This record gives sequence, structure tokens and C-alpha cells, in this order.
Amino acid sequence: MAALVVRSVRDLLKRADFAKVPRRHRHKKKWAATEPKFPATRLALQNFDMTYSMQFGELWPSIRVSLLSEQKYGALVNNFGAWDHVSAELEQLNARDFVNKAHARGEQEPESSQTAAPSPASWACSPNLRCFTFTRGDVSRFPPARLGSLGVMDYYLMDAASLLPVLALGLQPGDTVLDLCAAPGGKTLALLQTGCCRNLAANDLSTSRTGRLQKILYSYVPQDIRDRSRVRVTSWDGRKWGELEGDTYDRVLVDVPCTTDRHSLHEEENNIFQRSRKKERQILPMLQVQLLAAGLLATKPGGYVVYSTCSLSHLQNEYVVQGAIELLANQYSIEVRVEDLSHFRKLFMDTFSFFPSCQVGELVIPNLMANFGPMYFCKMCRLT
Amino acid sequence: MAALGRQVSAWYHLIPLTWARMSRQTPQKKMTASSLCKLTTASTGGGLEEVPCVQDPACRTHLPQCLLEKQSAPVDGGPWEREEVITSLLDMGFSDVHVNELLTVQPGTHPQQVLDIVSELILLGVNPEPVCVALKKSPQLLKLPVMHMKKRSSYLRKLGLGEGKLRRVLHCCPEILTMRQRDIANTVRVLRDKCLFTVQQVTEILHRCPYVLREDPGELEYKFQYAYFRMGVKHADVVRTDFLQYSITKTRQRHTFLERLGRYQTPDKKGQTQVPNPLLRDILRVSEAEFLARTARSSAEEFEVFKKLLAREEEEEPENPMPGDKSTMHGTVPQHDDPAPSVSWAEGNCCEAGPSNVRLSVCENFRFKCLVFIIFD
Ligand SMILES: C[S@@+](CC[C@H](N)C(=O)[O-])C[C@H]1O[C@@H](n2cnc3c(N)ncnc32)[C@H](O)[C@@H]1O
Repeated sequence: MAALVVRSVRDLLKRADFAKVPRRHRHKKKWAATEPKFPATRLALQNFDMTYSMQFGELWPSIRVSLLSEQKYGALVNNFGAWDHVSAELEQLNARDFVNKAHARGEQEPESSQTAAPSPASWACSPNLRCFTFTRGDVSRFPPARLGSLGVMDYYLMDAASLLPVLALGLQPGDTVLDLCAAPGGKTLALLQTGCCRNLAANDLSTSRTGRLQKILYSYVPQDIRDRSRVRVTSWDGRKWGELEGDTYDRVLVDVPCTTDRHSLHEEENNIFQRSRKKERQILPMLQVQLLAAGLLATKPGGYVVYSTCSLSHLQNEYVVQGAIELLANQYSIEVRVEDLSHFRKLFMDTFSFFPSCQVGELVIPNLMANFGPMYFCKMCRLT
Repeated sequence: MAALGRQVSAWYHLIPLTWARMSRQTPQKKMTASSLCKLTTASTGGGLEEVPCVQDPACRTHLPQCLLEKQSAPVDGGPWEREEVITSLLDMGFSDVHVNELLTVQPGTHPQQVLDIVSELILLGVNPEPVCVALKKSPQLLKLPVMHMKKRSSYLRKLGLGEGKLRRVLHCCPEILTMRQRDIANTVRVLRDKCLFTVQQVTEILHRCPYVLREDPGELEYKFQYAYFRMGVKHADVVRTDFLQYSITKTRQRHTFLERLGRYQTPDKKGQTQVPNPLLRDILRVSEAEFLARTARSSAEEFEVFKKLLAREEEEEPENPMPGDKSTMHGTVPQHDDPAPSVSWAEGNCCEAGPSNVRLSVCENFRFKCLVFIIFD
């Protein structure tokens, strides 16, 4: 059975080498002469079957079939290009800007429940983001991004759910922003698209990956903007950020390394479920707590942090958030408040399928009708 | 019914005369006709229950036109001859209404020709009622040359399709009488030599799923391989569940859907799975609504999307596997009573593995269309 799944999974990834995936996600595969006896993709599935069937119960089969089937993308329009023209073209394809749709929805709702509406400051979305998706059940694909008339690429294809952490961060003009684990850079690009960054520090431990990040910035963001937003790309260990630049940033994005559930089911290469990486996998939650704690320490009191992963695992999501908050309270006497994002969930309900019962944060679960995610995100405010 | 079959065929062996011939010898005819009449009327309602056959639109059909047309000289027998034919038909157990239908269903056919064809069918153990149904459904059968009909009858008997088994086959696939014998033989050969079904199993398959005759033998083999290797369904179950009757598209859609949901696993070497697999019946024989509600426990809209994605996955599968995209494995020839031919197939995740005289090199392509066989004998 597992072999089968692996086959189909490998089959999927073989296909992934073809047209549907944005070029940057493709890479040359080395085909082993004999297949490994226990491919990591198969180990990943076994692991998920065990943990997630417990965690999600009756929801797991539908998540599982979605993870094993082709995912959907979103086209993040490049505001530094001819965005109005590009938007019109995307509309022609019958894609819709899901951010705009959510805003329209948000404007209608408060009228009916004015008293219940939370204060805008805590939940306002980051502005100026345009991301097109095909509607529920529509499995169309976007053509690959092209170089636009202004010398930059016209849009960036990404899992549309990846935009939610950036939206939730609620950037405001003039913010000083840190992207602690930034490579390959989808979310960094989105942060820049808001036009809010006075300063943007984009960091990633891996130099090869920061290289990719640089390339994306070059092909999407004109030189003067990069200069004006003072984009600084570094390759440091994010865990040290609290000591390096404590109490510095208005907004911090902590998009941590995780089991990358979808990827782990489809790619043998670099798969965290390889036997040899067992240790690394086991200490992931600890690394995640350390990174989130560092991110919180780097935030100014009163500033906001969004923690995110592309894993379904509670251990890497809610537990990490709770662990980091405890750590800050105990070791640094710093108080952190988790923001309620349930209104946020309502705004984007048409586009994404949310897990209804997270203790803290929100989780987009893959569903065949809207095969985005998994994407967990939790917004926190550093109070002291 | 079985008893009748035996009697009819016993009778057939005793008197190696066909009805057609006998009908020209009036004195003998009446006697034998009425004895047969008793047999057939005694068995009314016997035989296979009418299982609706699912027609696969992609099936090929063979109706050699030339064969049919040569025979269609519109000679209407004189009133005297016609009377005789009617009497014979009535003696065989046809009602007045049936007789009238038989003689008018294909205008311009000589009554004697009608009698000849009908007699052959009766001798193959088909009862009057289903004979009528079959001929009404495919009146062109009445134009078949009698010699062809006789040869075909004896061939079908050899395949085990006499003795009343033909009724269902005729109902689903009247082409079995008209198509080229070579094509039938091809299908049989694939079932026997490539899929390794026993003789009885082949008969059973032809009987239960006559549509296999319309299918391209290559596709048929592929369908079997899907059942055997991909789903882990053994020969006897392939036969018992009428697996080969369902279109490969439908089978693959439902099976893959279940598999990705985590509700179906290919059994391992020992035939075990971690979760109990649903019955094949609940996967294939039920309506889509029932399949979704009870077996997959999913929604119609999700399944719709899944089917679209699956179709695209197949489309985009590389037709030719990449170089080096191969793995070598050992596979055993599936076991049954027949001496196994020294050739077999396997798939990367074959559920059978063990020592064998057959070593298979299998292209890493899970449509296993491009299987490569290396046989060490
Ligand atoms: C999920 S990815 C980030 C994806 C990125 N935010 C995006 O949207 O394109 C996690 C990243 O964390 C980086 N990483 C791992 N350990 C780190 C550490 N100690 N400090 C900083 N980055 C680290 C990895 O190199 C990896 O690129």
C-alpha cells in the first residue's frame, strides 16, 4: 500500500516536473537506479496517517486525498509592474482577487454585527495585496509568470494560503519589518508589495536559499524600491535575533522550518522524513519555539508577530505558540497576547477551508474544492 | 436449467442432426420437435437471472458486413414452406406471437433461413423467449450463413458456452455470433496466456462479462493487471466480481480516490492490509451516489474535482519512461491449476514477490503500459 502511495506520489512529482508548477519549483531529479526500500515520501505518509488521523478524525481522509492530489496556486500580482493590466488579464482567465473579495465581504458584515466587531487595529489586513485564485472547484492553472513591460515579472505563483500570514501581520505604512526565515522569499515579496516597509530585514540561515531570495527580489522589485525599503538580506541563525536586535521591529514574520507536509509527500529529495534526518525532525518543535521566541524578543513592545508553518501538526503549531509564550513569560517576564483571528477566518472562508477548532491561531486545511495549504498562522502582540 | 442443458446436449450428441436439417424431413421432424418442446417449456424461467449488462461505449464491434449481405437474397418461401416453418417453430416452443415476430423482424429473410438460425440457437441451449429477444435486438443475425452459424456454434461449445450459457452472452453481446473467430480467439488467448486464467475461468468470464469480447485485448490485459497488481485482486475474485466488465476509467477513478482517502490498500505479500478494504462490490457495482455515501464517505463535488485532476494526471504522464527510470524486481507467476506459461508481468509495487523463474524488469511507470519483460528460463 505504502509502496503504491509512494508510486503515485512519485508519479505526482514526476508530473510536477512538467507544466503545472511554476518554473522555480521545478528542479532536475536524479533518478535512482533502484528505488529505496522505504522512500521518505512513504514514511511521511505513514507518519501522517498515524498522527493526523488522531488529530483530525473524520476530516483526515479528505485532507489526505487533497494532499496527494494537485494543489492550487494563487497569482500574487506584482504591484511594481503594470498591475492593473495584469489584473485585467487574470480576470479574463476567470480568476478572482480573493483579497479584494474578502474586503468586500468585510465591509458588508460590520453593519450587521457592529458591536461584535473587534477594534480594527488588531485585525486590519496588510494593504495593497492582490492575489488571484480560481474559485472553488475550478482546477484551472495559471500560465507561467512573464516579464512585464516595466522590466519586472507580472505575478508570482504561490500557494495562496501563504499570503494569509502576511495579511494577518497587518502592516501599516512606515513599519520596520523582520522576516526571520525568509527564503525562498514568497512572503518577503508579499511584505514588500504592501508598500508599508520602511525597513525590511529578510533573513535565512541557508545561504543557498537566500541566493534564491535575492533572485526573486531582482526579478520582481525595481532597484530603487529595494533601496528605498532598505531591504537587507542576511544569513544568520534566527535563534540569535533577540540578542542581535532586541525590541527593534514593529512587525515580525516567523515562518519556521517545519515538516512541510505537502512537499514531504511528493519529493524524495531533501525530504525531512528520510531516516537519516530523524533527529532533526524530532527537534523541530524545539527549534520552532526558539525561533518564535527570538522573533518575539526582536519585536518592540506593542508590536506584532505572526508565527506560521505549512504543517498540520499541532505539535509544530499550537504547542509551539504556547511554548514560546510560556518561555517568554518565565525567562524574560515578557507578556505576549494571542490575537483572535476568527473574524479573519470568516473573511476568507470562501477561498480557503479552515480547521474549525484551533485553540490558538488558524489553520487552512487542504480540501479538493480549495486545494491550498496546509498553512497555520497565529498572530501575537508583544505587550511588554 | 443445467439439467436441461445436459439433456439438450446429450440429445444433440445422440442425433447429430441440426434442426435445420431435420426440418426438411417432415416425418422425423414432428417427433423430435415436440420432444424438444417439452424440454424447453419445462424450463421456462430457468437459467441466469437477467443481469443488465453495462455497455462500454469504447468497445469495438465486429459485424463483418460482407458476411451478412451475401446471404440477404430476398427469396420469400412459398406459402407451403412458410407453413412448415411456422409449425416447426411452434413445436420448438415458440408462441404464435413469437413466431410472427421471428418471421417479420428481418423482412426479406427466407423462412427456412429463419428456422435454420433459430434452430442453431435452440441447440446451443437458448430458450425460445431469449432467442426472440436476441433476434429482435439484433435482427441481422438472421442473415448469417447457416454454415457460419454452425461453425460458430461448435466453436462456442468448445469454449464452454453451450448448455444454456449463451443466453446472457447473446443478450449482452450478440456480436459473438458475427464477429471474426480470430478476434474471439485473441481475447481468449489473452485471458488464458497473458492473464493466466484457467479454462473454466475463461468460460466463466465470457459468460458473466460478454463485453470483454468487444474490448481491445490489450486494454483487457491492462484491466486485469490493474486488478491483480494495483488492487491485489486474485483471479477467482476478478471472475466472481465481474471486474472485467467495468470500464478501466471508472475503476481507476474509484480505486484511486479510495486509496488517496486512505480507505483502500493493496494487500501485501501475505494478503494483509492495515485497514480492511471495502468489498469490490461496494466499489464497482454500486451507483456513484452510493459509492460516495457508503464506501468513500465523501461528497459528489469533491469526487468531481478529483476526477478532473486524475484525468489530467494521466494525460500528463510521460508516455515514455525516462532513462534510468526503472527498477528490477522478482515476481511470481500467479498460481493456479493450469501449467503456468513462462511469461508474466509485474508492476513496481507488485503484491506478489518471491522466487521465480521469471525475472521482470519493470519500467517505473504505474500505468505499467510499458512493461519490459526479461525472462530467464
Ligand atoms: C518554511 S521556509 C520559509 C519560507 C519563506 N518564508 C517563503 O515564504 O518563501 C523555512 C526557512 O527557515 C530557514 N531556517 C532554518 N533554520 C533557521 C534558523 N535557525 N534561522 C533562520 N532560518 C532558518 C530554512 O533555511 C528555510 O528556508
